[in-house]
Parts: sequence; C-alpha cells; structure tokens
Amino acid sequence: MIIRAIVLILGSFILYVLQTGLFSSFSLAGVVPDLLMILVVSIGFMRGRTKAMLAGLLCGFYIDCCYSSVVGIFPLFYIIIGNLAGFSHKIYDDDDHMTPLMLTAVGELLYNLMYFVVFYLLQGKINLSFYIYRITIPRIVYTVLVSIILYRILKIANLYLLRFDKDE
Amino acid sequence: MKPKIKNKVKKKIVINPKIVFWGLTVFCIILIVVSYRFSDIFSPVKNVIGSVVAPMQKGINNFGDFIEDKVDHFSDMDDLLEENKALKAQIDDLKNTNQILNQEKYELSYYRELYELDGLYDQYKKVAAKVISKDPNSYSGEFIIDKGEKDGILTDMNVLAGNGLVGIVTQTGSNWARVRTIIDDSSKVSGMFLKTSDTCIVSGDLELIDKGYINVSQISLNAQIYDNYEVVTSYISDKYLPGILIGYVSDIGVDPTKLTQQCRLTPVVDFEHIDAVLIITQLREEYDGISEVFKSDN
Repeated sequence: MIIRAIVLILGSFILYVLQTGLFSSFSLAGVVPDLLMILVVSIGFMRGRTKAMLAGLLCGFYIDCCYSSVVGIFPLFYIIIGNLAGFSHKIYDDDDHMTPLMLTAVGELLYNLMYFVVFYLLQGKINLSFYIYRITIPRIVYTVLVSIILYRILKIANLYLLRFDKDE
Repeated sequence: MKPKIKNKVKKKIVINPKIVFWGLTVFCIILIVVSYRFSDIFSPVKNVIGSVVAPMQKGINNFGDFIEDKVDHFSDMDDLLEENKALKAQIDDLKNTNQILNQEKYELSYYRELYELDGLYDQYKKVAAKVISKDPNSYSGEFIIDKGEKDGILTDMNVLAGNGLVGIVTQTGSNWARVRTIIDDSSKVSGMFLKTSDTCIVSGDLELIDKGYINVSQISLNAQIYDNYEVVTSYISDKYLPGILIGYVSDIGVDPTKLTQQCRLTPVVDFEHIDAVLIITQLREEYDGISEVFKSDN
C-alpha cells in the first residue's frame, strides 16, 4: 500500500516536472501536452474512480503550488475528470489501447472548458471559439499523441504493481 | 471526509466513490475559499515544494535545451549554409547602417536626458536569471525563474529581457520566483508615450499576442500619437519603474466608447523564445525616493 502511494507520488511528481520543464522546450504551436491528465485518466481507467480522484488531488496540488495564487482549483478540475474517467474501469481490458486515448481527449477538452470558464469567462472574455481553435485543439492532439506512449508505460507500471501486491 | 479515505486505504473497506467524490469536492472548495480569504496561509507549503522542484526543473530544463540544441543543429545545417551566404552580403550593408545608428545613438542619449531617464535606466541593479519552467496550462504567460529570495528577489520587482519589459515578480520562494509577463491576460501596466508623455494602459491579451500584439487603451483623445511611437512604463505606476521600454504602437483608433483612443503594441521582447531574464533589484517605492532628489536638482 505504502509502496503504491510512493510510486504514485514520485510518478506524478516526475510527470509534473517534465510537463513544466522539459516539454516547454518541445512545445508545439505554443502548447505543452498535459501529462498529468494522462496519468489521472489512465489511473481512472486501470484502477477506478477513487484512485483516480486521489491521483487528481495530488496532481492538482503540484500545479497549485507553483502556478496558482488560490489553492484548490486545479485539484478540483482533476478530481472531476478522475471521477468521470473512473467510470470506464468497468470496461477495462488489458489490450484495450483505444479507450484511454479517447478518454484523454475528452478529459482534456473538459479541463480546458473548465479552465476557460474559471479564468476567462469570469474575467469577461467570451471568445470561446478562439481558445478552442488556438489552444484546446492543439493541446488535445499533442496530449493524445504523447499518451499513446505514456499509457503503455503506465500500464506496465500498473501490472508490475499489481503483481507486487499479489506477492505480498 | 479525509479520515474516511485513509480508513479505506488501510482496512480495504470499499466506500462508495460517490462519497469520496463529494468529500474531495467539498474539501477543495473549502481550500479555495480559505486560500482566497487568507492568501498567506499556504505560502510556507508552496515555498517548500517550490524549493524542491526548482533545482530539478533546472536540471531537466538544461537537458531539454541540450537535446533541442542538438536537434536544431542537424535540421538547421542546410539553412545555415544558405543563410551564411546571405549574411555575408548583409554585413557590408550593416556596416553602413551601423554608422548611421551610431549617429542616432547620440540623438537618443540626448532624448534620454530630456526625459531624465539617462543614467537611471542603466543604474538599476540587475540580477540575471534563467527561466526554468513555464505554466503547465498553455493559456497564461507565467513562468518560473531560478533565482529567489536568497538572491535578493522580492515580489513586485520588474523583470527585463534585453532592454524591454517582460513583467513583474508575483511570488517568491527561497530559490525560485514566479514572473507574470505583460502578455498575460491578467496583466495591466501603466504606460506612457515617450514622445508625448501621454499615459495609457498596456494590457495583455492572449488572443492578440498570437498575432504579435498586446492592447493599449485609455489614451486621451487629445494625444497626438502615430505609428511606431515608443511606449515606456510611466511615472504614475506604483509597481513598475519608469522609463522601461515596452514596445511600439500601431493600429491607432478611437475606442468604442468614443472617449479614449486605443491601439496595439508590439512588445520588444520575444516572448516565445524567452529563456534568460534580468530582474531589477530595486522596488518602485525605493525608486520614488531617488526621483525626488532628481526633481529637486532640476
């Protein structure tokens, strides 16, 4: 149990550092892929709602700590998405690589819409089509592309952890 | 709600995810309200996490730069050879222009004297810093630099790149600081036209920066301004030191209320490829003391 928690904390931390640090050098069209989103959605798909929500809480806190003056908004976003993604656990299959990709795309869309509402709409900026066209779509495409690789890595980590649990 | 989750984890009691969801949601909302109401309450936590993350990001960032350099190196080889030819031809041209520019430099220093900027602008003590991470949400124009309180960085210090204004420090940790750029949607800078001394408000706009512009508004109808006039930070700002170049204006027109003029501004800083910045380690409040002296001298 503790090992699983440590793996989650370390894994999400590494992804956060990668997302803000390394991928800034590799940004396409000015956007970076949302690695934390892939993590939350993948956990939701592989492990169910509760765990995805806890992972979302953690990921959100990382962003809050460095990039937000108000604590709690990003965890809330990720918890909502983790919760929704967790419903797909019922149809989880080891060889299914398409579902997490689609879930990531939908999650990213939802995240961007929530971000738009909280940070832009409330400021009186209403040009949604511009944000969708300029940021949301490139971000979804880039995130989905990265998730093709990242999901496989996460799945291997998950299988390894499950085996470890059985040994215990 | 938190203890319930812990119970679940330890004793493997399955509790309804619905309860977990609402519990965590309420928890987050409470956090939002608390941190909004008492903004200092979380700063020690943020500081500690920031201090741990900053060195790692710095390392990873260097690695990223290294890879990017290598990739660029190969892809640019052909371009470079062609460019080299063109550049050689340009050198002669530039030699000529340089001569002219040198003459204009004298003119510039004359203008600076006129605006009492001479000396002051160069006299600001500056600290150089590297950008180590950018906002994970691709919307906003914020980034984190690798210098913090240890190096004398404080909140509200102005940040430059080259000779143009980048933004302002909004939050500091022991070895990191958060900078909000002037292109950020929430950024508003009090500016001034160098030639006419008309004041204006320079506000960031994500939509416009895509085309390379930001907004300038609240310019008096009587202001005689034309394209390519310089906008600098104004004397009336309470956070920005005066006389820092922001950019050049274009597309001047009357705003929808017909009470003021508005225009667009091309920042002098290239925000897409920003990787090193200078922080002026002097706050506006301290500066006001100095300017008093200057005014009484004249």
